Amino acid sequence: MPITTTRRRLLAGSVATLALPAFARAQSAVKPRLTAISQWSAGSDGAAITALGKKFEEKGGVWQHSPVPGFTTEMMNKLRAQIMAGDPPACSQLKGPEIAAWSKIAPTVDLDAVVAAAGYEKVVAPDLAKLHKPGGKWIALPLQIYSTNMLFLSKRAMDKAKADKIPVTWADFNDLAEKMKAGGVPYPIANGGTRPDDGQKFEAALAGISPLAYRAAIMNLEKKALEGPEIKAAFAQVRKIADWMDPNVGAQHFSTNLKRFIEGDMGMMIMGGWAQGVLRNAGFKLEDFTIAPGPSNNGKPVFLLNADAFIFWQRKEADLQAGQTLMAQLVMDPAIQTMYSQITGSIPVRTDVDLSGEGWSDGQRRTAAALKDAIASNQAVLSLAHNMAQENGMTAAMIDVITEYVKNKTIKPEQAAIRLAEAVEGAR
Amino acid sequence: MSNAAAIRPGRPALPEWVRRLPEYLMIWVPLLLSAAHLISFSLWTIWISFTPSTLVPVSGWVGLRNYTAVAASRNWQIAFDNLLLFGSAFVVLSAATGLILAILLDQRIRGENALRSIFLYPLAVSFVVTGTVWSWLLNPGLGIQKLVHDLGWTSFKFDWLIDRDMAIWTIVIAAIWQSSGFAMALFLAGLRSVDADIVKAAQIDGAGPVRIYRRIVLPSLWPITVTVVVIQLQFAISTFDLVRALTNGGPGIATQLPALVVYDLMFQRSLLGRGAAAAVLMLLILLAVLLPYAAWRYVQRRRALHA
Repeated sequence: MPITTTRRRLLAGSVATLALPAFARAQSAVKPRLTAISQWSAGSDGAAITALGKKFEEKGGVWQHSPVPGFTTEMMNKLRAQIMAGDPPACSQLKGPEIAAWSKIAPTVDLDAVVAAAGYEKVVAPDLAKLHKPGGKWIALPLQIYSTNMLFLSKRAMDKAKADKIPVTWADFNDLAEKMKAGGVPYPIANGGTRPDDGQKFEAALAGISPLAYRAAIMNLEKKALEGPEIKAAFAQVRKIADWMDPNVGAQHFSTNLKRFIEGDMGMMIMGGWAQGVLRNAGFKLEDFTIAPGPSNNGKPVFLLNADAFIFWQRKEADLQAGQTLMAQLVMDPAIQTMYSQITGSIPVRTDVDLSGEGWSDGQRRTAAALKDAIASNQAVLSLAHNMAQENGMTAAMIDVITEYVKNKTIKPEQAAIRLAEAVEGAR
Repeated sequence: MSNAAAIRPGRPALPEWVRRLPEYLMIWVPLLLSAAHLISFSLWTIWISFTPSTLVPVSGWVGLRNYTAVAASRNWQIAFDNLLLFGSAFVVLSAATGLILAILLDQRIRGENALRSIFLYPLAVSFVVTGTVWSWLLNPGLGIQKLVHDLGWTSFKFDWLIDRDMAIWTIVIAAIWQSSGFAMALFLAGLRSVDADIVKAAQIDGAGPVRIYRRIVLPSLWPITVTVVVIQLQFAISTFDLVRALTNGGPGIATQLPALVVYDLMFQRSLLGRGAAAAVLMLLILLAVLLPYAAWRYVQRRRALHA
């Protein structure tokens, strides 16, 4: 049959084309290969990692990425299964203190030599670097950064409030909210009702009131700091925020209310930098909103760090080891970080990337500047709500208290502070 | 004796066990496989619940520490209270709704088949879909409350979904919508199997319809009622997808249920040991329902044999 012949010919042809470059390279060295798993399969996240894979292939590597769509926990289940089966991926998505926790259950790759060769350590925020070298050695590499406490201001709500100044401290913020309310904005705060949403309100409040107290209480879990006055003050601020939110959101995602936010029905939003990408994807213009660092009582920006990262698992195969080195070099490369962040709307991990050029938004520029300032004044801290400050078990125990407090207005700030300290003790 | 032997009389009849081999294979292989699956994984979970496992299963012995930690946690206490409330309210109300629907359908009405399909239809919908749809309907800013407000009755209030004390009832409502059709189908079958002669005799004796239902039909339905209650109860105990889609345990942690706690401990907090302990506690709750039911069935059967 003619069709069969054509198919056979096609097959033979494609096999030859595939084999040719491999044959050509066979003499020089092994061909780098990378098996990777992540949850990034669709949207800007999927586009960004696909672009990264293309770069990997351009350098002569074989890119084998298996996305596990859905929640991070589902990706973790796959990772767990592969590790238990003795067949971990060469590289997987993982972030925050989970890197330290997971590195105890399977051997990881020592990246110190590659990191030193790239001179990477001096361009990474110190707290962030610490997370990726739990035993003193680099075993994972951060890929992109978001701040979880960016302040989004609706242009139309600002007009209604007849305000044009971006609030700097929590007192400014509260004044503006009152003005908006008086000016006919029914809900001065736009929000979702998920656990991370509630957690973000609290961490933004506490870090803005005192980054020192945040570091001591939330990152280092110091008992004295957990019972300190700053925690109560943060809960009191969260109550104010909660009273300005639309109670009807239930357990909705924050993106449900973006339209009302842009239309000036809701005024301000405390959200991660990723909301910029969501707003633009939803068709809203950059002129409709302003992005600024979240309120900080001492006037200097406070940056709540959230960073995606890759961890590298030990493999014996020479081609996978070559692939891991290549991947590490790519992830640290400023050009690659620029490409990645421009797709997802995050900012690069490297603090020496110039964001003045084309392809960056004002929000991204302001976020990067805030990070630089925050690092200089030691006010770059790790996000609790997005699993950067504590392992998942501790985070969940603390968020339980926060989310209940946001939804139950009969709990007093003092009670909430006591409950938070108790939850920490219980989860230790 | 057998057909094969009758058709080909020349051949010697196969031994009994060979001829019945397909039947044995059909019954025993799947049964043993699923029993082994169930039992081995249950035992594995019970073992894990006594170990200090967190991210991955590890051996070791911590005694009842996982159990005491779970039982002392606020999440589990709220989940357990919710289960008692949700379980009893859902079972009673869905059985009652099912029974009323069945009695109304039993009046030899026109379009019975169509109505029966409509009432049974929710059962064909996934719980995630039910949960999502009801989360919109019950949302005060989007659903029923907004509709009534838009119609002009602006003081109308129906915000159970975001009310910590009432939110558990929204799950009851959605669950009843989903599964009262199932109860209706069982009750309807029961109603149809009531001996028509007894009903006729009662009619001849001058009993009205209410009296006939109360004294004759309903008493003969009680074995079916027990079945409905047990099936709905085990559904209530293992409810996961419905509440996850409807409230996700919220507002705050007000609508936690045991299955949500198990999932949360195992996969979100990476505390396999504690998650396993919570799962074993759930199994114990289930056994508390199923064992009395099995005993009751056993007694019924013995009584039937001796009668």
